[in-house]
Amino acid sequence: MQKINRNVVLALLSLTSLVFLLFQLCYYKFYLSQKNGAAFSKVRGSQSGQDSTRWHVVRKFLGLISSHNIPVYLIDPLILGLVDKDIEQIKSSPDGPSPECKYFCAPRDFTTFALLDKTWKHEVGLFRTAEKMGFQWLKIINKDPRLDGMDDLSGMEIPLHYIFKLSSHAIHLVVFYERSGNFLWHGPLRLKQHMDRKFVPFRKLHFGRYPGAYEKPELLLVSIDDLKVQIPKNPSSFLEDMLHSRFLECRYREARAFFQLYPDDASLEAVEFRKKAKSLLHLAALTLNNLGVKFWLSSGTCLGWYRQCNIIPHSKDVDLGIFIRDYKADIIPAFQKAGLPLKHKFGKVEDSLELSFQGDDVKLDIFFFYEEDDHIWNGGTQAKSGKKFKYLFPKFTLCWTEFVELKVHVPCETLQYVEANYGPEWKVPVKTWDWKSSPSNVQDNGVWPVDEWDNVIQIY
Amino acid sequence: MDEWKPNPTVKPHKKRSWYLAWKYKLMNQRALRKLCQTGAVLFLLVTVIVNIKLILDTRRAAYEEEEESAQDYDDEMLNVEVPRHPVNNKKVLDVEVYSSRSKVYVAVDGTTVLEDEAREQGRGIHVIVLNQATGHVMAKRVFDTYSPHEDEAMVLFLNMVARGRILIFTIKDEGSFHLKETAKNVLKSLGSQVAPFLSWRDMWTFVGKKGGEVYGEKHAKSPALSTWGDPVLLKTEVHLTSVEDAECHWPDTELNRRRKRFCSKVEGYGSVCSCKDPTPIEFNPDPLKDNKVFDVPVAVIAGNRPNYLYRMLRSLLSAQGVNPQMITVFIDGYYEEPMDVVELFGLSGIQHTPISIKNARVSQHYKASLTATFNLFPDAKFAVVLEEDLDISVDFFSFLSQSIHLLAEDDSLYCISAWNDQGYEHTAEDPSLLYRVETMPGLGWVLRKSLYKDELEPKWPTPEKLWDWDMWMRMPEQRKGRECIIPDISRSYHFGIVGLNMNGYFHEAYFKKHKFNTVPNVQLKNVESLRKDNYETEIHRLLGEAEVLDHSKNPCEDSFVPDTEGRVYVMFIRMEQEADFTTWTQLAKCLHIWDLDVRGNHKGLWRLFRKKNHFLVVGVPASPYSFKKPSSVTPIYMEPPAKEEGAAAVPAVAAAEQT
Repeated sequence: MQKINRNVVLALLSLTSLVFLLFQLCYYKFYLSQKNGAAFSKVRGSQSGQDSTRWHVVRKFLGLISSHNIPVYLIDPLILGLVDKDIEQIKSSPDGPSPECKYFCAPRDFTTFALLDKTWKHEVGLFRTAEKMGFQWLKIINKDPRLDGMDDLSGMEIPLHYIFKLSSHAIHLVVFYERSGNFLWHGPLRLKQHMDRKFVPFRKLHFGRYPGAYEKPELLLVSIDDLKVQIPKNPSSFLEDMLHSRFLECRYREARAFFQLYPDDASLEAVEFRKKAKSLLHLAALTLNNLGVKFWLSSGTCLGWYRQCNIIPHSKDVDLGIFIRDYKADIIPAFQKAGLPLKHKFGKVEDSLELSFQGDDVKLDIFFFYEEDDHIWNGGTQAKSGKKFKYLFPKFTLCWTEFVELKVHVPCETLQYVEANYGPEWKVPVKTWDWKSSPSNVQDNGVWPVDEWDNVIQIY
Repeated sequence: MDEWKPNPTVKPHKKRSWYLAWKYKLMNQRALRKLCQTGAVLFLLVTVIVNIKLILDTRRAAYEEEEESAQDYDDEMLNVEVPRHPVNNKKVLDVEVYSSRSKVYVAVDGTTVLEDEAREQGRGIHVIVLNQATGHVMAKRVFDTYSPHEDEAMVLFLNMVARGRILIFTIKDEGSFHLKETAKNVLKSLGSQVAPFLSWRDMWTFVGKKGGEVYGEKHAKSPALSTWGDPVLLKTEVHLTSVEDAECHWPDTELNRRRKRFCSKVEGYGSVCSCKDPTPIEFNPDPLKDNKVFDVPVAVIAGNRPNYLYRMLRSLLSAQGVNPQMITVFIDGYYEEPMDVVELFGLSGIQHTPISIKNARVSQHYKASLTATFNLFPDAKFAVVLEEDLDISVDFFSFLSQSIHLLAEDDSLYCISAWNDQGYEHTAEDPSLLYRVETMPGLGWVLRKSLYKDELEPKWPTPEKLWDWDMWMRMPEQRKGRECIIPDISRSYHFGIVGLNMNGYFHEAYFKKHKFNTVPNVQLKNVESLRKDNYETEIHRLLGEAEVLDHSKNPCEDSFVPDTEGRVYVMFIRMEQEADFTTWTQLAKCLHIWDLDVRGNHKGLWRLFRKKNHFLVVGVPASPYSFKKPSSVTPIYMEPPAKEEGAAAVPAVAAAEQT
């Protein structure tokens, strides 16, 4: 009897496991097909050459927004990349029917469009029409950063992103806002708790992981794949912008807390200094941007931005950083032309270069940064002794921010940057600062050979 | 399965070989069986492993997907699910109303919706309006019917309340002294038995439905003139109706949805919530041709005077050339009702946490509002600044559109204002005429961004300084000799009676008779002559043409100016130096124009109208135009009266002036 049992049990078990295995296989296959639907459709698409769903969805969407007079423009990086290659041809034949569907038929999950906030009246009736046309939609709203810097203002939340979904394709509409500093800003895409995380594969979106800053694009109406759309006039520069578009908002809340602890200096001298420093910064930014030299806020100016979202009134100068690889010989003449004479020049292009220009009572210091494998450094020179100093920073990348009505770069890893320079106590204002000993990242770096002094220590 | 059993009947000797063979076979079979069993076990093992792997795989994949779709995109602030209010199925509200000399309160279902025990405040009849379906408070008012005319305001208010709303009344201190017959009759018509006989220092509470039943009334008579009636406490129940009954059935449009939201929340706005034929909330005034101010942001500075804001926005949105998208209403404080008004009109509103007190609070609110305006519209070169207690003229934007280029091009200008301080019914005539004045009138004006960003914002008075922002802006350190452009006939009208520096008497004396333009599309005259140098030429031309009045007559008398029309007259007053306004102030007083401080002057010259004649006043010898005075004429000097009289009139403004 035992033997019978054993065999029966074994057989039964085998059978169930077989059934189970089959079930699991089915489930796995089903699951995979659901998850990688796009991947599969891609295969299908490449077989049939085209996927017209996307084209139809885009056409429907363009119909929807034109019926509400909403001016959108195409910013989809993949399509713009293709368009950029054929830009001359597209420009020359604005109306001609296209022989094949080249741009809007590559199967993707998304097509991305942009919308300038001030060019449309808010969505009265848009969503109802969209629903009637079969779109499902999602609206992502958040606080208005343009009011964030203000003491205790609370406006209505503003729309940052819209997603319109129809069958297997979704339109991602990014809302751009004009900011002080003459640039466009789009917000991050953040889902609130109650939102459907599976509405679309958010991870594949091209916009929204971070907020972004862009130049105001000139637009061009083109016809591609028989659809009339607006695109940035210069797609390649837009795509270039996009790669370095990450935007950092100033830490307004922390800045307010800072001013609670250390009330702002409202004396006339402080007001006057801030005004002068601001106009110097504007002039410097204009000059460097015209030269195409990338720069960022450094040292005290960077600390002012990070700690108090303003110029530190007792800082006495404006500090900028530039990578030495971006150095151009034109920099000095350009500043002189702009009315900022060279005050001193320390170091040389190969080592520890530092330039100072004299503004109206305020000095502009430009430090050049040298990249090593694991750190970045800039140099300092003491004029009377010829001593060299080295300031070490951990590696950083550059982000955009808005500062005194200007769009400028700051290190994205600002905290590390500021801490390297000013130590962990950077939150406490210090009025006496010795650039040779106070920074926590300063190192002695020898002495310039005396025969080089004429070259590496120039004071005007 | 194939179980082996020895067969007892088999004879062993005969079948040994068979047995052996069978045994051998059997052994083979056992091996097979073993094989089968092992195979099955192995198979099972494999299944288990595959299963485990599959489970792990799918779980990881599922987890990844979850991560993928959300991780980077989660809102940092985890919004805690707000517990929803339980659906209110309750049909009955418990209402408690208390009336006494020093305290009133009203509680609905145990929640205090009104409590006032402040001293020297809140005297009169308190009225609360509840929504008959939800029980929410829709309006709260107090009418000081001890004072004159307040009963008329109450009647007006009660007439505006929609039928079916629940009304709660209670008296604090005294509410009958100026409660006239009309008002008593209205209360009686609401079902009050006591109202017609309310008398001096009686205490009274009443709860009833407009046009319907009475839920309760209590009254305590004052026993003597010098004492108050005993406190009364009324406890009663109110039966709620269904939501449908409490709403109007307007066609379902975007506009009506806004209207519905508004009308279910607040009361006291009259016909906007009337079920039949409600007043429109969208105005679509004619656009302006070549509108130069279409893209100029408009900041409306508001406090908690929602009825004023309502009136103001109506007139603003009706002005030709208005661009609603550029309008932002800044509300000083987290008040709901002003925000409801803003949303009714589909505009955007921003609330501001109040900082500091009194004048400084207003001043901080101005600063925040102006900064926010230029942040929200970074392209704007100007901003129009309005207040919630102004009517806006139909040609307000047309006026600005024709003059704004001057502000852009002429550095000697400080602002353009829609308000002429001296533009009263009897002193303003010409809607197409503009002036340059050294004072900043405010009350609807245009601010240049560069002026604000470079000069005003960085040194704006800090919260601890109790300064009026406008007084501060008028100080020479800020104004730096620049002037404002104003129209002869104001393009705004100041209707506010309640306010920080404002009361009924003051309004009556200085604002009520102000002239306000109602003509659309006025073509402004000779705008270019308002530029700095052109204006001097213009003044010289005017003075050259002007007839000198008879200086032996009393300038306060009507006969001082001949009974003509359309002529230009000039008079000369004594003005020893630039800041000597002794005679001017007396003249302004007797002409019944603004005399609380000096307004509307340009280099010692004032321009206004008398009897439809242009009337120029030149201060001699301080004014550079003094040379026009014929040597035979002695400038008129008017003595100021005894001091206390002048100071006592309006302490609020006088005090503000001194700062």
